[in-house]
Amino acid sequence: MHKKIPKNKEISKIIFKKGELVKEVEEISGENLFGCYQCGTCSSGCPYIDDMDLTPDEVIRYIILDRKEVLNSKTLWLCSACFTCAERCPRDINITKIMEALRQIILRRKIDYSNTRKTTKKEREKIPQIAFVSLFRKNIG
Amino acid sequence: MPSKNYNQKMDHNQGIPLEDDYFLVEPEIALLEDKVLESETTIQGITQIISKKKKRTIDADVLIIGAGISGMQAALDTADKGYKVVIIDKTSTIGGSMVKLDKTFPTNDCSICTAAPKMVELSRHPNIELITYAEINKLEGKKGEFKAQIWKKSKYVDPDKCTGCDDCTEVCPVDVVSDFDEKISTRKAIYIEFPQAVPIAYTIDHKNCTGCGACDRVCEPKAISFLEKSEEIEVEVGAVIVATGFEVLEPSELRKEYGYGKYENVLTAMQLERILSSFGPTAGKVLRPSDYKKPNTIGWIQCVGSRSLQEGFPYCSRVCCMYATKEASIIKESNPEIDINIYYMDIRAYGKDFQQYYDHAKELGIKYIRGRPSNVYENNDKSLTVKYRDTLHGKINEDKIDMLILSTSIIPAKDNKKIAKILGIEADENGFFLQKSLLDNPIQSTKDGIYLAGCIQGPKDIPDSVSMASGAAAKAVGPIKDRKRNIGRNFPPEMNVSHEKPSIGVFICHCGKNIASYVDVEKVTQETKKLPNVDYVEHVMFACSEDTCKKIRDTITILPDKKLNRIVVAACSPRTHGGLFQDTLQEAGLNKYLFEMANIRNHCSWVHSDDKDKATKKAIDLVRAAVAKVSLLEPLSEEEFSIIPSVLVIGGGISGIKSALALADMGIKSYLIEKETKLGGRLKHLYSMFPSDTKSKEIIDPLIRQVNKNKLIQVMTEAELADIDGFIGNYKGTIQHKGKKKKIEFGTIIVATGFKEIDLEGQYHYGDNKNILTQTEIEENIKKDTLKKKPKNVVIVNCAGAMDEKRPYCCRIGCGVSIKNAKLISQKFPGSKIWILYRDMRVFGKEEEEYYSDVLKNYHITTVRYPGEKKPKVILDKNNPKDGLMNVKVYDDILEEELEIPADLIVLTVNTEGEILTDSLKNMLKIPADEGGFFLEAHAKIRPLDFATDGIYLCGAAHYPKNIVDTIAQAEGAASRAAIPIMQGKMKGEGQVAEVDEELCSGCSTCEGICPYNAIEVKPKSDNKDHFIAIVNRALCKGCGACVGACPSGAIEQKGFKTKQLRVMLEALLRNEEKYA
Amino acid sequence: MKLLYFPGCTLKTSAKNLEKSANAIMEKLSHELKEMDDWVCCGVVSSLSDDDLMRHLAPLRSLIHVEDQGEDKVITLCDMCCNTLKQTNLRVKEKPDDLETLNAFMDKENDYKGTVNVYHFLEFLRDEVGFSKLKQMVKNPLKGIRIMPYYGCMMLRPREVAIDDAEDPQIFNDLLDALGAEIVDNPFKIECCGSYHTIENKDIVSKRAHHITNYAFERNADAIILSCPLCRFNLDVRGKEAELMFKGYKQIPIYYYTQLIAIALGIDPEICGFDDHAVDPNLLLKKKGVYKI
Repeated sequence: MHKKIPKNKEISKIIFKKGELVKEVEEISGENLFGCYQCGTCSSGCPYIDDMDLTPDEVIRYIILDRKEVLNSKTLWLCSACFTCAERCPRDINITKIMEALRQIILRRKIDYSNTRKTTKKEREKIPQIAFVSLFRKNIG
Repeated sequence: MPSKNYNQKMDHNQGIPLEDDYFLVEPEIALLEDKVLESETTIQGITQIISKKKKRTIDADVLIIGAGISGMQAALDTADKGYKVVIIDKTSTIGGSMVKLDKTFPTNDCSICTAAPKMVELSRHPNIELITYAEINKLEGKKGEFKAQIWKKSKYVDPDKCTGCDDCTEVCPVDVVSDFDEKISTRKAIYIEFPQAVPIAYTIDHKNCTGCGACDRVCEPKAISFLEKSEEIEVEVGAVIVATGFEVLEPSELRKEYGYGKYENVLTAMQLERILSSFGPTAGKVLRPSDYKKPNTIGWIQCVGSRSLQEGFPYCSRVCCMYATKEASIIKESNPEIDINIYYMDIRAYGKDFQQYYDHAKELGIKYIRGRPSNVYENNDKSLTVKYRDTLHGKINEDKIDMLILSTSIIPAKDNKKIAKILGIEADENGFFLQKSLLDNPIQSTKDGIYLAGCIQGPKDIPDSVSMASGAAAKAVGPIKDRKRNIGRNFPPEMNVSHEKPSIGVFICHCGKNIASYVDVEKVTQETKKLPNVDYVEHVMFACSEDTCKKIRDTITILPDKKLNRIVVAACSPRTHGGLFQDTLQEAGLNKYLFEMANIRNHCSWVHSDDKDKATKKAIDLVRAAVAKVSLLEPLSEEEFSIIPSVLVIGGGISGIKSALALADMGIKSYLIEKETKLGGRLKHLYSMFPSDTKSKEIIDPLIRQVNKNKLIQVMTEAELADIDGFIGNYKGTIQHKGKKKKIEFGTIIVATGFKEIDLEGQYHYGDNKNILTQTEIEENIKKDTLKKKPKNVVIVNCAGAMDEKRPYCCRIGCGVSIKNAKLISQKFPGSKIWILYRDMRVFGKEEEEYYSDVLKNYHITTVRYPGEKKPKVILDKNNPKDGLMNVKVYDDILEEELEIPADLIVLTVNTEGEILTDSLKNMLKIPADEGGFFLEAHAKIRPLDFATDGIYLCGAAHYPKNIVDTIAQAEGAASRAAIPIMQGKMKGEGQVAEVDEELCSGCSTCEGICPYNAIEVKPKSDNKDHFIAIVNRALCKGCGACVGACPSGAIEQKGFKTKQLRVMLEALLRNEEKYA
Repeated sequence: MKLLYFPGCTLKTSAKNLEKSANAIMEKLSHELKEMDDWVCCGVVSSLSDDDLMRHLAPLRSLIHVEDQGEDKVITLCDMCCNTLKQTNLRVKEKPDDLETLNAFMDKENDYKGTVNVYHFLEFLRDEVGFSKLKQMVKNPLKGIRIMPYYGCMMLRPREVAIDDAEDPQIFNDLLDALGAEIVDNPFKIECCGSYHTIENKDIVSKRAHHITNYAFERNADAIILSCPLCRFNLDVRGKEAELMFKGYKQIPIYYYTQLIAIALGIDPEICGFDDHAVDPNLLLKKKGVYKI
């Protein structure tokens, strides 16, 4: 099924440096996506799979088929780089880096993804600092 | 006798003499010499003395390392040609991995049942010296003159004395984890690997033996000998065949996410084979290890460690899809209530009948789930939760299953690298041995005179291993072909006893305690003495001992007054021991068919151990029946016939060419006939050979030159077999050669007729648009460089006309070809977008999978998986249907949506079928073929190159399409098979053949149709042309008895099993023997 | 023994108790964690894009400062710092070209020579001190307490920088054995705690916390042992919040391994800063009679 992913105007406007999404992803991540056997290992081990609109193996498939709407997917922002998929992938594809590449494609065009102002002061005092730095690095650039 | 000291034990595997000895304090020097010098009590001292001792040397022709199915096949093939073979195995038995399996795919034949006859044959072969529990230490010399040092470890049990009675294991106090049972059971420190082991002699496992001596005390034949020493044996041979086999990965270091070694109910597939095996730890019952309860659900995870660029091995292990299917089918058939899931990435049902077998498994209700689980965890009830993404339904699921089987990688035997070093041959980084040239000489190792067979150069199924082993046997003959050969055994001339009154000798065996404890052998003896014609009865401790055999010979030749002319042995099974006693009869000059066995052990004492009286009665009955039958037995003769020393090879493609060359290397003449104007077959039309980039012509052209130069090969092109008459050894054929008829004579035939692409009959608009080509056509275009316009989008459609209702089979080569051609197109037109539409990517095995993975990555091929029931559709341009842009509509199984791909070039991977000649050859040679036009071999597993009819062999795509590597292995194997009768010079038929009573025969032909060996022909009677009768060809008859049972007139009798002979047995069992005596 | 120590931001703010308890253990062992001079933020998330070396700058700077201080070894307490420093260290050792580029970028610092090895404090305890040594020193054995080990991601992945087996780590089992506790194994011990989603996606993290802890809860585990400050926060605070989402679910107390060692060695529980935890760790220890207050 072609999944419906909500569109973001800014993202739809992105023009890829090398013409194709897959080429840009490969350049940023250094990973070769065509080696993927679509076995679903990455998806079944992913801790955030229940909340994803596209599973990680679908994300790879979308990139290969040059479906740019993948950039609108929630999945990229749910990935917290726990490396489980990367470690278990039989094809040695670092999916974690592919997710980062997709985020980078967006972030490098100055489209932010987070707004920490919503966080209460009380929370801000309690939450460990590493959480904030991680969030900024992943969602802001 | 020196006192026993069991404390100082050392590593048994070091290969240093004496290190395995139990006697270090007072060594057996004391036995060698009268006094012991002080310096000689040290290890060095002893080593020196031992090295002074004369070493045993064996002068042989071929050394075979490893006695699994490959090694055994190679040994038998070589020895049958008359050469002396030494075969060694590192375990205490032979049979290798195959005998661990329960059944074999795709025929569900019992594995041990098909392997055991080969094991027995090997152990009794006069040209084979079997050395078990032995390893190679050193190899010197070169092709034609190797000198090998074999380290034969002591078994501490004298194999000549051991009878396999099993008394020792009952008293042995040490439990050792059983390697044979893949670590799921234990054996004792004195053990036999499995009940059918060959030789049936026990072994003391030095590493685990505590030396308590219990076995020694109970062993009646006094076979235990702690004094026996390991020894180094020197073997001189001309060639070496390496067949050390494989192991399966135990995922305890890598792929730990599946919990092997941590969770009790996670097993490897090999462990499951042991559970399913009737002689495994659960006697074949499907029970899970944690509680010995029958599981309700079982799951298999495929490719554990295989097809992995990390945490595993890059290659495909080739057999796992099919063995998982086999195991699942066997379980499901007998336990339909068990739910079965197989988690896979691609199901590689690539071989002959594999796809049908897989389809059948699905019909049984086995669920195939496309998805590779990420991890597994154990629940409180010891069941396991498997989480996976069902990639064909887009769902993340968690299955709770009771038992999980991991289909783990095939890996080379761990000591392969060590062996490679000893032999001076090369291995790859994983330890698989390398070929000198994979594509045109796959059996040849990197060193002359050393040949490879079986899984040591990559995972393989049994028939491919057996074919390759036969091929290795052909190659190994090369360096030794001119040596003296020895066929069969020499026996004294036979006495004519046909006029004598039956005089029967009966030998009743105690088999240690095995029979004597449960059967009153004295009473059996006394009762037997009362039987008519019985002149001699004796009960003996072990009938199979050399002692008793001598006694049997003496009663036939020496005993005054009552020389015996019939022998009955009441002991165990004729399957294992019949041959031994028949040889004994022949040694005494008595016809070997005047012999009968009564199995009072397996059929009596073992199964009635709880009631001695009844067991004794039954034993008396069994002996009486045997005596009754033996009285009526007649001496039988075996038809001997000569063999014309040349071979007809039909088909001049790569298979035929390689067969003819292999025959020539063995010094055998052949006729190579080809219907086309030139030799070379399909390779002449192809551009390059997968799984490589090697050009076809680089392979085929030099071979054609070799064939044409070879004086032993007579090539006939534009030639076809027009007519044939005769049988093995004596064929007369007419060849239609360039319009003329030519008569030739030959002894055996190799069928190598190849395959062709099927007629698509317009499917996929083939023929409508000039840009739709088959794989063969695209290759011809690339070869001739006739593709000019760069295509923007190329769509390759696999499985065109395959695995559908009309042709339910997989073509085996299509996926490999599609990948190779995708690469060729991409290289020719960089920047063209290439799509491959496939059903399962069946690039099986080592090289193909790795080639596939490289091509995908380096050429950015986009693959689309489509379901079998939704075949891709080609849509032509309405305005320009013949040359316009096309569209391919395909349902993407994984995305679950229809894609529409524009295509300016479509390549169809078309299914295959047997060559055009199949029909005429089928009739002329009376050989069977399947629905696809591929010829049917005698046995799918262990006789892949033979037809059921003796003297005719097959190879290459005539058997089934296959890649060039497998084709060459088969071609050389078929040459080996076809060479055996020729090198034997003459052949003997079976003695116990069918015999037709011409008076009773009505010529109805029922028998002719039923005979599996084509041994019966209905012909006009010589003296009455109007009367048709069945005539048995004694050269071909195997004595199976099928015709006897089928004959409506009762006109056929089976010698050795005549109706009256069987009737007296029955009457004797019913104690009415007087009636028929 | 004095060991150079890289604290990182969190150890100085929301995980002071982790640092304090570690220091107390070291004192007991007659060693000292000496905070390194001039440490800078590690960057927390190691660089994931291949075409950009920028994110390696911060960790490399700290590694240079270790060399500057004449040491070849640096210890970290925070899992994220450890992971980031190790990954950058590995990258520059494997790719000398990258090191050259990075060195060229630094104006004030010396060039990094690649002599430093980064250690997790747990590695130090296991490999240098030895758990058997700790066992001998135990005064208050954690007898009768059923503890579930939890590792999370950063100690184990990527494999190249893991301090133990990535799929079935044993280091906490061995430690708990030494401290006298019972072990409740948990297949989810290596799964992500929810990480930084704790800021903007609290519910997801609560679900993760529940998923991980519930397995232990169902197997009557009394507590969880872990190392990472963010994991501690997520399992503890978001786990507590999960009680409202999952009926009948009750969050069990979470301990840093340093706290449990300190308690077992008889160090004053005050040092453990249990007040910062959402689920009170004191109650259990008192109930099980490990110590009395």
